[in-house]
Amino acid sequence: MHSAVNKAIQLILSADAELCNILSVTARMSLASSLIALLIGVPIGIWLGSCRFRGRGALLVLNRTLMGLPPVVCGLLFYMLFSGVGPFRQYKLLFTVEIMVMAQVVLITPIVIGNMESYVSGLAPAVRETARGLGLGHVRTLLLLTNECVYQIFSAYLLAFARSIAEVGAVSMVGGAIAWKTNVMTTAIMQYTNRGNFSLGIALGLILLSVSLLVNVAISLLQRRLSR
Amino acid sequence: MKKTLSFLLALVMVLGLCACGASNAPAATQAPAATEAPATVETEAPAEEPAAAVDTKILYEADDSMLNTYTVIAVNPDAPFTDADGNAVSDVAVNTAGADALIHWLLSQTALDMAADFGMEDYGEHLFYVKDDAPVYDGEIAAATEETKTIRLSTTTSVKDSGLLDYLLPVFQSEYGYEVEVQSAGTGKAIAAAKYGNADLILVHSKSQETSFVEEGFARVVDGFEAERVSFIYNYFVLCGPSADPAGAAACATVKDAFAAIAEGKFVFISRGDGSGTHTKELSLWPEDLGITAEAESFADYTEWYTSANAGMGACLVMAEQMGGYILTDKATFLTFVANNGQIA
Repeated sequence: MHSAVNKAIQLILSADAELCNILSVTARMSLASSLIALLIGVPIGIWLGSCRFRGRGALLVLNRTLMGLPPVVCGLLFYMLFSGVGPFRQYKLLFTVEIMVMAQVVLITPIVIGNMESYVSGLAPAVRETARGLGLGHVRTLLLLTNECVYQIFSAYLLAFARSIAEVGAVSMVGGAIAWKTNVMTTAIMQYTNRGNFSLGIALGLILLSVSLLVNVAISLLQRRLSR
Repeated sequence: MKKTLSFLLALVMVLGLCACGASNAPAATQAPAATEAPATVETEAPAEEPAAAVDTKILYEADDSMLNTYTVIAVNPDAPFTDADGNAVSDVAVNTAGADALIHWLLSQTALDMAADFGMEDYGEHLFYVKDDAPVYDGEIAAATEETKTIRLSTTTSVKDSGLLDYLLPVFQSEYGYEVEVQSAGTGKAIAAAKYGNADLILVHSKSQETSFVEEGFARVVDGFEAERVSFIYNYFVLCGPSADPAGAAACATVKDAFAAIAEGKFVFISRGDGSGTHTKELSLWPEDLGITAEAESFADYTEWYTSANAGMGACLVMAEQMGGYILTDKATFLTFVANNGQIA
């Protein structure tokens, strides 16, 4: 364990070019995918949580099923679709960061939706009553509801980001873990483990955790300030 | 910049401390069980502290049946590609010019000399040898253009993990301006990637799988060469095992006898089990009456000693080391494994 900690510190201090590349690819991929998932997931989550309509139950069941979609299956699906022989071959997206983001969005969005939906459905009746008392219209009711959700939106984002940065099954499949291009922290850890270089793997793991911690601290501070 | 760096450093140290605390925890929970035999525990505990040298060692090598030949094959853009449903696909994008350039360069005298030298500096041993009959290429090598710049090379873990590609490719890339994207997996997966149209060329080491790849029409002859398969470097697989060698493999007349002795005594054997070239070679070395094949049912009766790991070479070597088992490996990865021993936590 000590050698791994030493190695992690050495790696950071040496500002190793490959490590910097892995960190930047990881950051690009997980920030982009979690933000896109948030933009798609939050409106749908609020809508599902606040409105009552036919087929809502079915949609919820579908979403909860997708929340359990195994990353490897998602990765395999995208691999087949964007392969050289797949139906979307002309886009030439396989082994790029873009397709990694797409696969991640498919994995994460249901989680954001589920998270928002369960929060909003607990909140909606009270907000609707207040809105009716104030004589607010549909749109303003929704805005009021969204305003009440700010804290939860940050939590949902952190959940999405955590899932995105920690994911390995789908990104290794569609990204191919190509050095200098699509190798992220988790796939690099897997490579080192496969080579039997456990301590370097753990060193990378420690760095990954620290990055995750930094992001969490930053966003939690923002969350407190904005939702006050 | 310095401030963020030191902050990051502090975080890592805190995390490290937590992790150390966590790694001590299991030891504490094991303590009650150990009280049954306190005397042995006292002597065992300190023995784990220093990182013991690798116990797994080479028992058998340089047998002709252990020859491990690496072949490079260019993918044919007009190959009978099919999608997942078996429908024919005709317009698969393959960078033929890029693949040609890389194959031409790999077979140039410069690259062959480099490959032959690989390992001398770090291990004092040749990790790869150039085949005597390798078709040396002395013609022009096309420089990269905007369309042909990116070359997708699908290859086996052994050439990547041994460091051969990281040693060769930068020279090619800086000289001719290409970017080689290397995906590494076992030979089986590496060939499958090419059949799905995700590679421009493959560098693999399993003759039977290569031949069927060629026969199915997925390969093409590169200008300046006579056949689809261009075999150019080789080394030897080695049979490794615990230094005590309970099966007496080192003393056997042939490597097949050594495998028979391991099976006879039911000594632990770690198989890659992933359809890689190493796995294919290993399957060909067992006594035929055992009937061990790539199918899981074929070794269902041998699970007490035959371990199908389905993992990369490095991970399997670690497993063999931990279990005191025998293993077939390529020599390059094994030497790297031994050299990195100090790094294994």
